[in-house]
Amino acid sequence: MDLSQYAELFLAEAREHLSACNQLLLEWERNSAAREPVGGIFRAVHTVKGMAATMGYVRVADLAHRAENLLDSLRRGSAAASDELLQLLFRTVDALERAVELSVTGRERELDVAALAAELDRAGSRVAPPPSHGRGTPAAPLPPSPAEVLPPTAPGRLVQVALRPESPLKGGRALVALRKAEALGTVHAVSPPVAAFEAEDFDGRFAFRLESDADAAAIAAAIKRAGDVDQVTVAEDESAAPRMESTAVEGGRTRHLRVDLRRLDALMDLIGELVIARGRLNELAALRRDPAIDDIAIHVSRLSTDLQAEIIQARMTPVWQVFDRFPRLVRDSARQLGKQVALRVEGKEIELDRAILDELGDPLMHLLRNAVSHGIEPPAERRRAGKKPEGEIVLSAVRERSSVMITIADDGRGIDRDRVLERAKREGLVDAHAEALSDDQLLRVLARPGFTTAEAVTSVSGRGVGIDVAMTRLRAVGGVGHERYALPLTYVSETVELGAAPTTTVEGRDAIVLRDRVVPLVHLRRLLAVSEDAAPPRSPIIVLEMGERRTGLVVDGMLGQQEIVVKGFDAPQGTLPLFSGATIMGDGVPALILDAGGLL
Amino acid sequence: MSDGEAVRLLIFRVGNLACAAEAATVREILPRFEPTRIPGAPAQVAGLVNVRGSLVTVVDGWRALGQPAPSGGPRDGTTVLLELDAGRKVIGFTVDEVIDLLSVGGETLERRQALPGIDPTLVRAVGRRAGQLFVVLDTDALLTPIFAS
Repeated sequence: MDLSQYAELFLAEAREHLSACNQLLLEWERNSAAREPVGGIFRAVHTVKGMAATMGYVRVADLAHRAENLLDSLRRGSAAASDELLQLLFRTVDALERAVELSVTGRERELDVAALAAELDRAGSRVAPPPSHGRGTPAAPLPPSPAEVLPPTAPGRLVQVALRPESPLKGGRALVALRKAEALGTVHAVSPPVAAFEAEDFDGRFAFRLESDADAAAIAAAIKRAGDVDQVTVAEDESAAPRMESTAVEGGRTRHLRVDLRRLDALMDLIGELVIARGRLNELAALRRDPAIDDIAIHVSRLSTDLQAEIIQARMTPVWQVFDRFPRLVRDSARQLGKQVALRVEGKEIELDRAILDELGDPLMHLLRNAVSHGIEPPAERRRAGKKPEGEIVLSAVRERSSVMITIADDGRGIDRDRVLERAKREGLVDAHAEALSDDQLLRVLARPGFTTAEAVTSVSGRGVGIDVAMTRLRAVGGVGHERYALPLTYVSETVELGAAPTTTVEGRDAIVLRDRVVPLVHLRRLLAVSEDAAPPRSPIIVLEMGERRTGLVVDGMLGQQEIVVKGFDAPQGTLPLFSGATIMGDGVPALILDAGGLL
Repeated sequence: MSDGEAVRLLIFRVGNLACAAEAATVREILPRFEPTRIPGAPAQVAGLVNVRGSLVTVVDGWRALGQPAPSGGPRDGTTVLLELDAGRKVIGFTVDEVIDLLSVGGETLERRQALPGIDPTLVRAVGRRAGQLFVVLDTDALLTPIFAS
């Protein structure tokens, strides 16, 4: 076992804790009398310190230690958050973030935090609560030297334990292992702290320093007797620790190698080839009726399926990786404008393909900045309008089948239509005599490059984010030709054949019974008034599903699946309200896109 | 189209009618495409066509003007792209043939003279070319109602 998995874990966890610090600082800033945020920040910084110490990242631990001292004084005292203090803490969190990133890539030495550390110490002594009575204590005692808590000088060897992933009650097992170690000597710097062993997400990996005369093999053997221990590593002696550290750094670097998305794309392509080859192998196996070939074919099938799933999963990233930097961004830009704005983020855990997420960061940032500068009013204006002085922006991600909807909403003054109209007239975007803008016109005007930042979003949708659609082909038998329509795959749950499922009628409508549920049918031919030729006898039914509602679309045939670009068109009066747009097919002929929502 | 000012007109034929549209509103003259039907749209609407990647809704001129159907196939004839509503919309309008592009002095056009076989509210003026009468269409009045929501 090498330390690299710890480096990865450390990085991920440290980022989470520091991100939590940012959130808590924002909370404290909004409500400076509150005490809870200080406690939370203290605990988060303390945890980061412990983890960094265990990893041997001395400078991170030192900085965290000084911050912890200040925070400890703050949480014990009753001082409200002064602006100066908050700025210092924000800067400290930023510095810790940088320090963590540098440390795991082995560039800890590039850190220069001496000035910040000194500032933290000074602030710490200013806010330190007086020892017994009243004010006027000249200076608080100097914070204890960080060396006291740092492993390189802390006694003992670094011991790392990983429990079997399948082990039940990992927390209890970890405690037993710790007791075994304690039987051999003195245990220091347990990370994560013992209290975290009981947390639900404790994964059975922990580390500590053990001061003991026993040799490494004996320590490992003793710990393994706790049972369910997968791996134990014991550093040989103190001088070995730095070596281990540098391997960890090397390992960490490899583990965190950023993979170029093009590589993943290339892998996807290769997998596609593999799947084709697999198909040929399966055919051959079926032909030869040779059990040996069959076995290999089945094995290859399973491997390629897993591989494909892994690659797809490798591209999925939770949105918080991008969203979590926004609360600070919103706060910083609001501050510059003398406004008070809180950002609420919903649906953080929702995962998106990394390529899309990467593309989303900038446009979302623009939209948020836009909401801060144009949407949210200055505090005085908000008060006059009877609103809280602090504005709120909600950034939310919601999964809706295969798509994710991301919304930004603010409680500000809204769009000033008159001003937009005026400017649109000035720039010649609308007729000089226009008196009002329709919603549609408004959007079009706002989305003009240079008019607002909305063009950034357009460029995302123009970058192949696209929409998967199932193409539905309606053949008019003996008619003038055929009509093709596109249907977004998002709401397609399955396809069945008419005649394959029992039919019935519900409130005068045809329906099929599908797994004991009645699904009403829509005959697309009739609905779209396609010429009255006979429909093919066995028509496919495309089952649409949105929430609890289901509808079966009876079509003449299905043409295939492809990505398309959605375009608008000037719909004449009377056009059935069933279309969300149109697209141009590969042969250059337009096809209308059915609006699944409208059909349900 | 005030009096005395020269106007450029595109002259075309729809069925038995010689018509004209102000050249300033003509964006492009294209061959006729086979359109994609738009379910529910009025009969005058032929459907959607692809003009270099943009979708354009096309109106059948002969139906809009109550003329007999052209004798040729669906691909015969010409599509004129017209700007409507001061350029905010571009609509395709099928005609049987384009005849000429004329510069006409305002004084040679007569205002709103009723002609047999055409709704007078769609006529902006009447002119004469090579001894033959043509009607200058009010394309906004003719086409905008089709798209009004």
